[in-house]
Amino acid sequence: MGTVATVTLYLPEPLRTYGGGIAELPMSAGTVQAVLDDLERTRAVLYRNVCDETGAVRRHLNIFVNADNVRDLGGLQTRLKDGDVITIVPAVSGG
Amino acid sequence: MADRVMLTIGTKKGVFVAEAAKARRSFALRGPFGPGIPVYSTLIATKGTPTLYASSCNPFFGMKVLRSTNMGKSFTETKSAPAFPKDDGRALINIWSIEPGNGRKELWCGVEPASLFRSQDGGDSWEMVPGISNHEHARKWNPGNGGLCMHTIIRDGNRVHLGISTGGHYLSEDGGQTFKPSNTGVGAGFQPDPYPEYGQCVHKIARHDDAPGRLYMQNHGGWAAWTGPGGPRPDIGVLRSDDYGHSWRSIAKGLPSDFGFPIVVHPHDADTVYVMPLEPATRTCPGGAPGVWRSENGGDSWSRLAKGLPKKESYFTILRDAMTIDDLKTPALYFGTTTGQLWIGREGGEKFECLFDALPPIHNVKVAVV
Repeated sequence: MGTVATVTLYLPEPLRTYGGGIAELPMSAGTVQAVLDDLERTRAVLYRNVCDETGAVRRHLNIFVNADNVRDLGGLQTRLKDGDVITIVPAVSGG
Repeated sequence: MADRVMLTIGTKKGVFVAEAAKARRSFALRGPFGPGIPVYSTLIATKGTPTLYASSCNPFFGMKVLRSTNMGKSFTETKSAPAFPKDDGRALINIWSIEPGNGRKELWCGVEPASLFRSQDGGDSWEMVPGISNHEHARKWNPGNGGLCMHTIIRDGNRVHLGISTGGHYLSEDGGQTFKPSNTGVGAGFQPDPYPEYGQCVHKIARHDDAPGRLYMQNHGGWAAWTGPGGPRPDIGVLRSDDYGHSWRSIAKGLPSDFGFPIVVHPHDADTVYVMPLEPATRTCPGGAPGVWRSENGGDSWSRLAKGLPKKESYFTILRDAMTIDDLKTPALYFGTTTGQLWIGREGGEKFECLFDALPPIHNVKVAVV
């Protein structure tokens, strides 16, 4: 059993309507995956905006822990520590 | 009393609503709703209080269904959108069609990857229809350029016709419980076997209540010059069935191209059908001069309708759901272009006029008199 950290999940503006209108959600989780699992349990509609039916993070979303994209860290298994800020950011794309 | 003509216009940047009096002299535009997000399908449900639906296909945050109960003055998200069961392994990519069911709040929805969903509560909850979504062929279909989409749902009593690109035409005769491929006479140009059991790139199917058993199909044509295995396959693009979709025959003779996307039937004459031929390589208007082609004898012959349309230098595409016709006594045809123009063809297409000249690229157009 890993350590559980007290972290903050930062939601971009388009997701706030699914998160009760707030920008920052305090959470307790040991990994980024645990943050998503918590969302699936407690905020299913918000979770569905972040992950598809298979549980994969949607293709055009990036997840950062502080300033680093999780793909450059340990992916969804990236360990979290107290005070970390997890940010969900839509990719810059489209036209 | 129904006295307003309502258009829903699904675009790359949201859904617009245009409204006019029955004379259709001018339309007032509202929107975009769901701004910035592509809308691939819309529906104006006219049973009871008119309700407008739009699929908001968000590439970042997933699929939503938008609903309006105030004639398109505002839209809100339904409580949920179609979704595959968690253990299915597939994830929704797009929503390509929303059609009405029997009940006032019943909806049928075709999605990508090609599957069928049904709602009994106006889109707040959805269940997958397993007879086609888990069909033994479903994992063998291949996506076309637009994706692996279920774009056509036609209900006719206990019959349900589905158009899948590229899966072909599937038919249920038990209300949607079970489906079989029904593609006899439907050609495919992108594989050695010109007439496979399934896997055709059907673009659109249409029918009329007054002609039981008859269906029209715009298939993926443009294969007359193919010289590879299986040989050339001319005129496979525009087809007709007279036996409820069990078999099909070509009605493409006389058209400048058998490639196109939409096919539309006149509301008061099952023998009158409209297509929009496109050059198969570029998928744009032949010679840069757009024209709707109309048959008034069920596809035996065709004539070009282009009065009011540009005569040159117009290279737009009209997508599969971007042409429709209203059901007023003298109906008007409507089509939207990938260059963002919405055209009206008054008097059944005799005279065209551009209603809106600079919308975002148009994916679909629906009309109803409400």
